[in-house]
Amino acid sequence: MASILGYSFIFFFTIISVFYVIQPLFLEKVKYSVDETNLSLKREKTILYRSIKELEMEFDIGNIDKVEFEKRRNLLKNEVSIILKKLKKK
Amino acid sequence: MTPLAGSVALNLALGFSIISIVSLSIYTSNNDERINLLGHRSALASSFLVFLSTFILSYQLMISNFDIDYVARYTSFETPTMYKISALWAGQSGSLLFWLFILSIFSVIVILQNQTKHHKLMPWIVISISVVQIFFLVLTNFITNPFKPTDTDFVIQNGNGLNPLLQNLTMAIHPPTLYLGYVGLTVPFAFAFSALVNKDLGSLWIKSIRRWTLISWLFLSIGIILGGWWAYQELGWGGYWAWDPVENASFMPWLTLTAFLHSIIIQEKSGMLRFWNMILIFITFTLTIFGTFLTRSGVMSSVHSFTESSLGPVFLSFVFFLLIVSFALIYIRKDHLKSAKKIESFASREGGFLLNNVIFVVLCFAVFWGTIFPVVSEAVRGTKITVGAPFFNQINTPIGLILLGLTGVGPLLAWRKTSNEKIKNNFFLPTLISGILFFILMALGYDAYVVISFSLCLFVIIAIYMEFYKGAKSRIVRFNESFFVALYKIISKNRSRYGGYIVHVGIVLMFVGFTGNAFDIEKEFGLKKGSSEFVGDYEFLLTDITEEERPNHYAWISHIRLLDSQGNIVEDLYPEKRVYFHENPDINKRQPHSEIDIHSTMNLDIYSIFSAIDANGTAFLKIMINPLVKWVWIGGYVLVLGTMIALWPRKEL
Repeated sequence: MASILGYSFIFFFTIISVFYVIQPLFLEKVKYSVDETNLSLKREKTILYRSIKELEMEFDIGNIDKVEFEKRRNLLKNEVSIILKKLKKK
Repeated sequence: MTPLAGSVALNLALGFSIISIVSLSIYTSNNDERINLLGHRSALASSFLVFLSTFILSYQLMISNFDIDYVARYTSFETPTMYKISALWAGQSGSLLFWLFILSIFSVIVILQNQTKHHKLMPWIVISISVVQIFFLVLTNFITNPFKPTDTDFVIQNGNGLNPLLQNLTMAIHPPTLYLGYVGLTVPFAFAFSALVNKDLGSLWIKSIRRWTLISWLFLSIGIILGGWWAYQELGWGGYWAWDPVENASFMPWLTLTAFLHSIIIQEKSGMLRFWNMILIFITFTLTIFGTFLTRSGVMSSVHSFTESSLGPVFLSFVFFLLIVSFALIYIRKDHLKSAKKIESFASREGGFLLNNVIFVVLCFAVFWGTIFPVVSEAVRGTKITVGAPFFNQINTPIGLILLGLTGVGPLLAWRKTSNEKIKNNFFLPTLISGILFFILMALGYDAYVVISFSLCLFVIIAIYMEFYKGAKSRIVRFNESFFVALYKIISKNRSRYGGYIVHVGIVLMFVGFTGNAFDIEKEFGLKKGSSEFVGDYEFLLTDITEEERPNHYAWISHIRLLDSQGNIVEDLYPEKRVYFHENPDINKRQPHSEIDIHSTMNLDIYSIFSAIDANGTAFLKIMINPLVKWVWIGGYVLVLGTMIALWPRKEL
């Protein structure tokens, strides 16, 4: 009795798993269309904003001097503006 | 739920993992989303079948089905329920299934979390995870199957039961914690591999794995600390770290992972060290597999036991496979891994991080060499040359102290470069105060390592305090906040940074505990009821010895009154001598065990071991006075707190 139950259990799980896996093959053929560059640019923008905030903090606590701070902040701001332009174009 | 179902579930899981790899490889060339979905679903189905298989084995352990060899080996009717569950990871095949179980949980999380977020990277991420899954499925299906029936023609009346040393709450938690750390590293490895294949080698993949890496590091750290705690509480030799191969197996990936956690900060900030980071994450992951190989192949006990079972060679082959494939891919992509920027000055935080990375790797190599040397010597010369704790301590203590020093130097350096004036200003206070402590301790005649360690601990604490103080002060000036509000705000707004500093405080506290080893006192003696003995400033009076029969063991309990130098009672200690499986007619199967008792304070631990009792009623005791040990565990708590702060969620990228 136990082995019949065991075999039924295995059969049931095998059928369910196989159906779940092959089900996409019955769908229509599609190609991925989401623009990954857009997502990637947005992520990069967030990272740059964070970097600017961290830099401001470094300056506030006195870890970098004013000249260095402004030089690096301008660099980061330039990078942000390039990304914003790219995002606008899309 | 029969054992057969568990075994078939493992077979099917292997099939689905193979389908996943094949379909995702096809998808990378034809871009048909149906095939992609099929690949992901196969991986999910494989994971769910592993869950099923694990639940079936757990159930068999719970109901004590001794028809399964594994259940009969690691449990008995008397095994408490909690330890029947923990028996899942007590033996070889069960622990490999448990590895697979955790990997399957992580695989499901990765697939569900990233299917759309990292659509381009996902196929190779899933392929990488599936390759690891297949390796463990091959082991559990064909080499060490946890559902293997018992090899007897008669009905087994009772199982062997769990080793008494493993019947401990910490030991029930320790392996899963360590495994969460080990297995969690599969995810950063898979992301790194996929980023290399896809030539997407910016800092985005690093950002995506940051949380996984930190979680793995946290669990690996907790696992290591719990292992030390268990050894201290349960093994009865008075220490918490013996440089045992099993301990080293978890320590090696921890070292390279710590290096990686530091060096990815540089890649995130400036795009440097791409090449190095790839090497570090591949080595770290390979070390986790190597660690499992060390602990599970039997190679450490003898090279012969390694060749007797096919598990060892298969594991070693997989380690080489991982190294060859990873490094070949790094070589092929070497041009993409070149960084545009270079370190401007070594007097910078980048320079400090780079130095710390080199030292971590050197430390890891020293531990690696010391760990495998007995095996190499046995294989080459036929005689096993054991490398003991003195070797490891001699090599690793100075390296550890350099790392401790760097923990303090790092925060005092600025990113990119630090001007001479800043160096003078930042280093002045910590150097002055720790320098004063250094000369005081030297004058008091302490050992050189003790003097250096305590001075460096103070140096690091001041350096970190200055970081918190400067951060809070800047908010006080800008926003007119009170000190504590400002402190709270800087931590909550810069969780990685200040969480990291709190982790460093934890490390310093642990070093304080490690340094306490230099003052350990140890004495062994025999006492009759009513007699006493002095150890250090304490008197140990044996007031009584009682006996007790408990469900799974017999115990002799010594009652020791601990008195201070003025004769005041400090505490009563009750170390025990136990015999597990005492009713077993086969004397060889009875297992003696010393259950220790500890009087623990911030200053010192008084560690009592009841070694034996003779026919005349003399109790043989071992007493150890271990100063500052508690700081190791407090440091561990602080380390966990800091990591939790660093892990606290912020806006998703």
